Amino acid sequence: MQYNVTVIGSGPGGYVAAIRCAQLGFKTSIIEKYDTLGGTCLNVGCIPSKALLDSSEHFINAKEHFKEHGIDIPDPKVNLSQMIRRKGEVVKANVDGIAFLMKKNKIDVYKGVGSFVDKNTIKITSGDGKETTITSEKVIIATGSKPTALPFAPFDKKRIISSTETLELKEIPKHLIVVGGGVIGMELGSVYARLGAKVSVVEFLDSLIPTMDGTLGKELMKVTKKLGMEFYLGHKVTSVENKGKEVLLKAEPKSGGQPIELKGDYCLVSVGRRPYTEGLGLDKVGIETVKGQIPVDDHLRTKVENIYAIGDVVRGAMLAHKAEEEGVMVAEQLAGQKPHINYLLIPGVVYTWPEVASVGYTEEQLKGAGRAYKTGSFPYKALGRARASMDLDGLVKILADKTTDEILGIHIIGARAADMIAAGVTAMEFRASAEDIARTSHAHPTYMEAVKEACLAATGNRAIHI
Amino acid sequence: MSQQVKVPSVGESITEVTISNWLKKDGDVVKLDEVIAELESDKATFELPAPQAGVLKISKQKGETVPIGTVICEIQGDGKPAEVQPAAQESKPKPAAPAAGSALAKATGAVKEMKVPAVGESITEVTISTWLKKDGDLVKLDEVIAEVESDKATFELPAEATGILRIVAKEKTTLPIGGLICKIEVMEGAGEGSVASAASASTAASVGDANYAAGHPSPAAAKMLDEKGIPASQVSGTGPGGRITKEDAMKTQPAAPEPKTAAATTTAATTGAPAQGSKGERREKMTSLRKTIARRLVAVKNETAMLTTFNEVDMKPVMDLRSKYKESFKEKYGVGLGFMSFFTKAVCAALKEFPAVNASIDKDEVIYHDYCDISIAVSTPRGLVVPVIRNAETLTFAQIESEVVRLATRGRDGKLSIEEMTGGTFSITNGGVFGSMLSTPIINPPQSAILGMHNIVERPVVKNGEIVVRPIMYLALSYDHRIVDGRESVSFLVRVKEMLEDPGRLILGV
Ligand SMILES: Cc1cc2nc3c(=O)[nH]c(=O)nc-3n(C[C@H](O)[C@H](O)[C@H](O)COP(=O)(O)OP(=O)(O)OC[C@H]3O[C@@H](n4cnc5c(N)ncnc54)[C@H](O)[C@@H]3O)c2cc1C
Repeated sequence: MQYNVTVIGSGPGGYVAAIRCAQLGFKTSIIEKYDTLGGTCLNVGCIPSKALLDSSEHFINAKEHFKEHGIDIPDPKVNLSQMIRRKGEVVKANVDGIAFLMKKNKIDVYKGVGSFVDKNTIKITSGDGKETTITSEKVIIATGSKPTALPFAPFDKKRIISSTETLELKEIPKHLIVVGGGVIGMELGSVYARLGAKVSVVEFLDSLIPTMDGTLGKELMKVTKKLGMEFYLGHKVTSVENKGKEVLLKAEPKSGGQPIELKGDYCLVSVGRRPYTEGLGLDKVGIETVKGQIPVDDHLRTKVENIYAIGDVVRGAMLAHKAEEEGVMVAEQLAGQKPHINYLLIPGVVYTWPEVASVGYTEEQLKGAGRAYKTGSFPYKALGRARASMDLDGLVKILADKTTDEILGIHIIGARAADMIAAGVTAMEFRASAEDIARTSHAHPTYMEAVKEACLAATGNRAIHI
Repeated sequence: MSQQVKVPSVGESITEVTISNWLKKDGDVVKLDEVIAELESDKATFELPAPQAGVLKISKQKGETVPIGTVICEIQGDGKPAEVQPAAQESKPKPAAPAAGSALAKATGAVKEMKVPAVGESITEVTISTWLKKDGDLVKLDEVIAEVESDKATFELPAEATGILRIVAKEKTTLPIGGLICKIEVMEGAGEGSVASAASASTAASVGDANYAAGHPSPAAAKMLDEKGIPASQVSGTGPGGRITKEDAMKTQPAAPEPKTAAATTTAATTGAPAQGSKGERREKMTSLRKTIARRLVAVKNETAMLTTFNEVDMKPVMDLRSKYKESFKEKYGVGLGFMSFFTKAVCAALKEFPAVNASIDKDEVIYHDYCDISIAVSTPRGLVVPVIRNAETLTFAQIESEVVRLATRGRDGKLSIEEMTGGTFSITNGGVFGSMLSTPIINPPQSAILGMHNIVERPVVKNGEIVVRPIMYLALSYDHRIVDGRESVSFLVRVKEMLEDPGRLILGV
């Protein structure tokens, strides 16, 4: 078969690129080596993790907050296999949805490992060894990423596990050790902490979610400590051993001092993800990876003129929505359009409770750059809406240019932060000033009022409700 | 990220190209998609755009011929605003001092020197009329920073880089072409997302004074403007604080007469594949060279009394002579015997007889030239240029031919100096190379006349009462009637005709 565009990999980068290409009138195909479409995000990433986060959050509410709301129920119990089964159904509904969208847009789906023969020819080897060859004028690589293991402790998938196994556990760990206090570690760690596991997080750096604004990491630690999570920041893990029924982790403080030993029944290693290009046959087209990534120019074009790459397999944040934007951008470029991506304004979110969300520059970056800025903060505690729901943890911090008042960064930790950040991204796309938001009517009572109040605080310290 | 730039494959049968010109210098900061070099193959010339922003490191020099796929330069670093990853999906256990510093506009250490560009063929110096930006201001690439005037025209000077402006030439200073106007301390990261204004920090504007965002296009507007090829700086925003709204971007296209159709076109653009019968159009700012040309051409029409007289030449004698001596001429002088030498010689002889055609007006006086500096029009990728053959009246056929070749090559390579293009006393233009049968050329001031050559076509003509087929070229002479009389112009052209139809006259001077 011959195609205008072929996409390799069906994650949020790949399937979105394929749909947009089809919308633009290209004859399009997509290749996926797994049985289901949707990639990491739908199968073992964003969606299943959120399913478990929501279930476990319901549990903790039932267990700890219903009483105060005036709902008396007998002690609730966790039915983990049902929780995992429901998660599976959520995933299935989503991946089936993608299959439907492929059909609707008349995109040919090939199941199997796609591998370059030359720059226009791709061989697809399916699970049973059958080979199919197709040709395509343009190719978009969207093969995503895989979890990184510790060099001295490969995943055994039994005791030393990655996020993928953590989404499928058969029992609630007694003690889950998490290596890496980034987004995935904090999300999955809090799932099991809510379900009753003891959770210890070992992080090399001195703060949690270290790429985000420092205030957020500090606040997140405060609120997750309330769940009973324990933290070993600034600790370098030196070994992790599967001892059969147990796993033993050793770590030493970076600054010197006593090494620690932790014994648990599972160790989740969430220290990052690496771009995935195995089996893709990049050597056949002369593309070499750099630190695992496929090098691309500002148009996401590789060194081979008809081959593009998007998502986790290229530079930039490993986020589903970043992959999607890149998919759209490549498709539209192929149709001669000139879309933009403002990488500064790709928001980052952690779906703990409370949620963490941010966009723009962090305070550390502004300081480092010597930029004159001002801040305005507002705590959830002072919010009527938060009192009503008892979600009192968290705050909003606005960073704005000292002179022009232009918003430079929005950092939120608090209930519904993930959904709130979109308004902030919109404002920043239009280069709004803090006063612009402060003078925009916000419905009362809402969590978004905290953003408005923080903007008031940033413009002449005139927050009303504090 | 650094990127090596290779010669792209440009066509099936093309295996190698010659680097005809570097438009950017080694070490220059280049923008994404900015044309950095001109390449030439046996079939065509084409432009090489930068595949990413950064600092240019040239590895193959101008004039070198290289196979497709050869690395000819590298673009180092990403000159684009450093991207921030607000939340990488997981923390990586490496000692990451927060990625600060890289995030905002920051000096790259590079300094861009802006020099007076060559703005037109006879312009040798310019005066800085107004600085639109102050010393120390943050200027953005392509933003107009000064107005510059020459004796012929005023033009705008766009910033050649984003960064801090350091003015070298004060207002009212006069500089030669190539003179240093200013320096820009190149910064990266400014310009997109946020203007980290080194300047705004010092010019304290009051809080809420939101015009920092004036001219900032909304995401949809930005895409639309880019597709139309219109820089945001040319659109005046009607949104709050002067922001460019989607509607502003839509309206910037005059072809969208009413919002309804405009909306319809947009949907078509986003949903339709290559739309059929689409009415795309594109707006581009005129280059100052183009503006100068435009202004001058209109000025000629307005300020002279230009008219054109025609004649026809039977080219058979010249062609016979040429085919007879082609080989031996080439052998002896190493240059082909073309028509230009015949025409130039004939023109020089005729100019001697009709000095007014070789004269020019300077206010109340007429300047007569006792030499013939013949301007010849050469078409180049950059447009028409008019280099001069000096003292053509003293040159032999062979000298004229080699001079024509030399000037044409330099013209094509963009190497002609202003010097080489100024001071002609009479012009010859050959529309025949493009297939023109007849045209009325425009004189090249302050000259008073121009000869137009055209294509040679076999036509039936009557010779000695018989219809014969002859290779005929129509000739046109446009002249300034203020100093050239009708009798002179017509007789001049007849003389040229006579000498071409009987080249013996060129030798004998009769
Ligand atoms: C636990 C977890 C939670 C996450 N939560 C979030 C979140 O909440 N929000 C967020 O934005 N991001 C989240 N992410 C990150 C997000 O999943 C990724 O950024 C996103 O999936 C990247 O999309 P992609 O299209 O680049 O690649 P992927 O989604 O990784 O898809 C790549 C696909 O390509 C296929 N493939 C690879 N090679 C070949 C080949 N040769 N032939 C055929 N097919 C091939 C793979 O099988 C895979 O299906 C999470 C990740 C994890 C692990």
